[in-house]
Amino acid sequence: MNPYPQVLFKNRRPGETILLPEYEKTGGYLGLRAALKMSPEEVCNLVKGSGLRGRGGAGFPTGLKWSFFPADQPGDKYLVCNGDEMEPGTYKDCQLLLADPHQLVEGMAIAAYALQTSVGYIFLRYAYEECSQRVERAIAEATAAGYLGRHILGTGFDVELHVHRSAGRYILGEETALLNGLEGRRPNPRSKPPFPAQRGLFSRPTNVNNVETLANVPHILTHGKLWFQELALNVESAGTKLFGLSGHLNCNECFELPLGITLREVVEDFGGGVRGGKKFKACLPGGASTPYLTAEHLDLMMDFDPLEEVESRLGTAGVTVFDENTCMVAVTRNLNQFFARESCGWCTPCRDGLATISWLLDQIENGQGTEDHLAMLHGQVRNIKGRSFCALAEGAMGPVEALLRLFEDEIKDHIRKGCCPFV
Amino acid sequence: MPKLIIDNLEVTVPEGTNVLEAARKLDIVIPHFCYHKALGAVGSCRLCAMMFLEGPVSGVQMACMIPAQDGMVIATNDPEAVELREHVIEWAMTNHPHDCPVCDEGGECQLQEMTVAGGHAVRRYTGPKCTFTNQDLGPFVQQEMNRCITCYRCVRTYRDYCGGEDYGVFGSRNRVFFGRVEEGPLESFFAGNIIDACPTGVLTNKPFRFKSRSWDLQEAPSICPHCSLGCAVIPGGRYRELQRIRAGVNETTNGFFICDRGRFGYDHVNHPERPREPRIDGQPASMAETLAAVRTRVQDLVQKHGPAAVAFLGSSRASFEANALLREWATQVGSPHLVFEAHQGRDRAARVLAARLGEHARSLEDVRQSDLIVLCGADPLAEGPMLALAIRQAARNGAQVVVIDPRSVKLPCSATRLPLASGRLPEVLKALSQKDLSAFSRQERSVLDGLAAQLESARQPILIGAADLLAEAGVTALCAAATKLSTPERPVGAMVLLSGPNSYGGAMLTGAADDFDTVLDAIQEGRIHALVCLSSDPFREAMAPARAQAALGHLELLVTIDSTPTLAAQRADIFLPARASAEMAGSYVNNEGRMQAFLPVLNPGLPISQTGAGNHPPREFFLQTPGSEPEEDWLILAQLLESASDLATIRQRLASSDQRFTELPAIAPETPGIRMSGSGQLPPAPPSELPHCTPSDTLTLLAVSAPLGSHWLAHLSAPLAAQEPQPYVCLHPEQAKELGLNAGDRARLITHLGHCHVVVKIDEMMVSGQVMAPQLMNTALEGMLPGSVLDCRLEREVQV
Repeated sequence: MNPYPQVLFKNRRPGETILLPEYEKTGGYLGLRAALKMSPEEVCNLVKGSGLRGRGGAGFPTGLKWSFFPADQPGDKYLVCNGDEMEPGTYKDCQLLLADPHQLVEGMAIAAYALQTSVGYIFLRYAYEECSQRVERAIAEATAAGYLGRHILGTGFDVELHVHRSAGRYILGEETALLNGLEGRRPNPRSKPPFPAQRGLFSRPTNVNNVETLANVPHILTHGKLWFQELALNVESAGTKLFGLSGHLNCNECFELPLGITLREVVEDFGGGVRGGKKFKACLPGGASTPYLTAEHLDLMMDFDPLEEVESRLGTAGVTVFDENTCMVAVTRNLNQFFARESCGWCTPCRDGLATISWLLDQIENGQGTEDHLAMLHGQVRNIKGRSFCALAEGAMGPVEALLRLFEDEIKDHIRKGCCPFV
Repeated sequence: MPKLIIDNLEVTVPEGTNVLEAARKLDIVIPHFCYHKALGAVGSCRLCAMMFLEGPVSGVQMACMIPAQDGMVIATNDPEAVELREHVIEWAMTNHPHDCPVCDEGGECQLQEMTVAGGHAVRRYTGPKCTFTNQDLGPFVQQEMNRCITCYRCVRTYRDYCGGEDYGVFGSRNRVFFGRVEEGPLESFFAGNIIDACPTGVLTNKPFRFKSRSWDLQEAPSICPHCSLGCAVIPGGRYRELQRIRAGVNETTNGFFICDRGRFGYDHVNHPERPREPRIDGQPASMAETLAAVRTRVQDLVQKHGPAAVAFLGSSRASFEANALLREWATQVGSPHLVFEAHQGRDRAARVLAARLGEHARSLEDVRQSDLIVLCGADPLAEGPMLALAIRQAARNGAQVVVIDPRSVKLPCSATRLPLASGRLPEVLKALSQKDLSAFSRQERSVLDGLAAQLESARQPILIGAADLLAEAGVTALCAAATKLSTPERPVGAMVLLSGPNSYGGAMLTGAADDFDTVLDAIQEGRIHALVCLSSDPFREAMAPARAQAALGHLELLVTIDSTPTLAAQRADIFLPARASAEMAGSYVNNEGRMQAFLPVLNPGLPISQTGAGNHPPREFFLQTPGSEPEEDWLILAQLLESASDLATIRQRLASSDQRFTELPAIAPETPGIRMSGSGQLPPAPPSELPHCTPSDTLTLLAVSAPLGSHWLAHLSAPLAAQEPQPYVCLHPEQAKELGLNAGDRARLITHLGHCHVVVKIDEMMVSGQVMAPQLMNTALEGMLPGSVLDCRLEREVQV
């Protein structure tokens, strides 16, 4: 069915979770064994050379992030896995952990070795209790088998992993807020600099990576960087990506697809086309914080750089599709309500600005909007984008700014008609 | 030293200065809400946005978050930055009520200023506003959460800076709530600071509520009279009433904050029983008549019995100038009896300190910078509250804090503790300086060995004590320890908390005179016939009150100069009303020896709230302001001396007559003050019968001062008096078990002073073998003079 090579999902079967013996049978922990035969720097360089980019949304090169980490600094250092997956439209980490949690455990053991940290925390979304239990079971299995704990695989290296269940707000996905939450503090983001690599968890050097990012690492160690690069259809990119489809599609599922696949293929071949034979109007390419793509973008490659060229982002590759009958003002209002609700309340633009946008979109959608409201909306976006304390409000501005850029006519239609034209 | 350009002006600032402070140096006001120099930059309000045109960062950035760096070119009026600031103000105002006309903050509201400055006049948002239910936060702080703009300053002040734990942040998004888990009085002794910290009217001064608009208040920089630390305060008066006090800024002493005793202890100035008229033999008289009567009667007694028949008692709460003039008077008369504190223990401790402190003197700022603080016999919350905050700041920066005390000393930070009986405090200081800890038990050594090692390695250690518990022997030992442990490269600091704002000044003025107990003996024996009391109350403060009362009854002439209703004022043959510190200019010398000037806030007079019985305007009219006769304490003395009567000349004269006071004319309000040079004289050898600790099977009771209830001026302030505790004693759980007492029990406390009813408190950080009782004015524990050690019995009272 899926013609593309399956890496992360190769052991995925409906309703099942892979246990250690089967994981080992399919090449599990070979990556860790390979890593332990290399020096930490060599592991770091291999990951750097593989072209792996962060799968949590920002797409920062993982090896480069690791190379900033002061691995040789003495004292406590931490590795943290960000599994606080809470962006609307994004559910890939959940699928991955339900299917094959040992990939994360192995990836963290390798990362811990590369970064010379012996304590790792897996920070999971509060709603992912099933995932938490499966990851805990995988940790227990791996510890019993000597992949974790003291002197792993007979080397002098120790790794212990802990699962931490989040208290459950979207802001905890912001890495510094996550660290505050992990410390038991109010999860307000911290100012950067200092970056977590200098001063992170408990004020010690800390490296934070996404679940999917870490799960890719064992495969890179097992099969090498060239193999990994060739997985992508885009020559400038590397690896596969988990795409979580949702919205007005015939088939809303999570697929592992190569980076560089076109949006059209994702929507038509994997999503089964738009529901009810309707036309494709727009989509969120990578979760609620990414600017919309429209029908003119269908032949674009779904990858980090090509999407940035059209003022959008790959984000988490959680593709949410909207059909031709969808009111984009209503969509944006709905998304913005989420962000306004999830603002931690630390900085003014996010706390009060997002609430103002919610109100403005309410006015417009309800037919009470005026040209002044539209002007005010432009002003809000201009002064929230790039002006907030952390990336939450920045992300929230993605769809709003795209609404103004791509669907201003639709807003004006609301204002002119004094009601929503789609109702 | 980075050099940068802001609005075309060049400025050079020290490394680490943020751009907001750099602009402030150029007198460029960068608007802000969340930034506070003492609380630091957190970048939450986004109001201080500036355009960074050139240099290492570019674009619109928050001035508070960016350290000034070489080559930066910054524009404050760039359209992009201005537009953001306008939006920030509009956002902050989205849910803010339109209640400025009835809001107590109106007129001194940062939000109001920024809103007007930002040009925000029309609210474009027409939706419903977020509203909150307010909490009753106790007697001092009024909460009105609907006004909140979520700058987080209050929690950063209350929790981070002051170490309070019962106030915090709740909720998220635009529903952030600042308050307690449930309604109730704020527990921190520094709670009032959130009033100053709040940039708008969420947290306002409850006792001051609805009394005045800020622009109607008369304000001036002053020095707090409630303890010996000399914190900068800004009292505000109106309608002949001192209505409130807010924190002043002196980065050498208190920094930006003050304690609640200082903040809400303004009301002694308005006390309804405050004596305001000059009196001769109980009859009102004019000031001129009264001054003449004092001169005549003192002269008569000197002629009749010789100069030694007149004794002079100065004060730790009168201005330094007045005390210095009192000394001049004593010299002029030729009397050897000149004492500056009736409490013998405190007097001798202060004199030892003034003689020995020298270069070991440390300010509160030094404490904040210290890396090892040893508190020996000092309870900051009771004896000098802002010291507790200074210690907390040091602890936040990693300093070690060690507490050696018989009491369970409460601190807003963690500390290593060694409970030790009060009599052993000098011993432990000696042992530490001689590096011989053999006299201590193994358990005690487990703390002391570690401390001895830390004292070797610390960069800026400070030994801190207090006059009450250490007394003369302890202060001597503390200063000796500082000297002994110092090396030229690594000096050891010392600080001793004294009783009043001018205790150190009084001690510097004291010559080789005996202490007040000797004066009392001489009065008793008929050798002294007259006593001049300057702002002090020997009836209450002398070490043996019963003996003092008996002796003072023998006086032929008691002259009292004071601004408060003391027993000495009531019983004076001649009374001269003085002004309170908020009503005059003058200076105090704090426990570091720092001379600090203060200015008058208001003129004395019966508050209109009293004369008008709540009505305004008053229905009776006088040519003279009622109750306006009190004069500056130094002016009264200058007139008695018939010498120059303006402050500048007085300071000049004092400076030229005593070279230790050379800098006195140079002190100015709103400056850090100037440390006195030179040192005081040691008191003569101590009398044999010092308070002692009897090694018998009876209990010993240690009298101490409490944060509220023990301090005269605070006790006269209604908002604080209402919070004074009921009489209690505190003891170690084992001791309580032995006596069959439980926490909360009522008990009878029996000492040679009589017996009284107390509530039992139990604290495991108390030393066993000593029971602690606070001095509480106007209760059965009033006679418990801090520092005294008495035999006592404690009997459980059966509840009926």
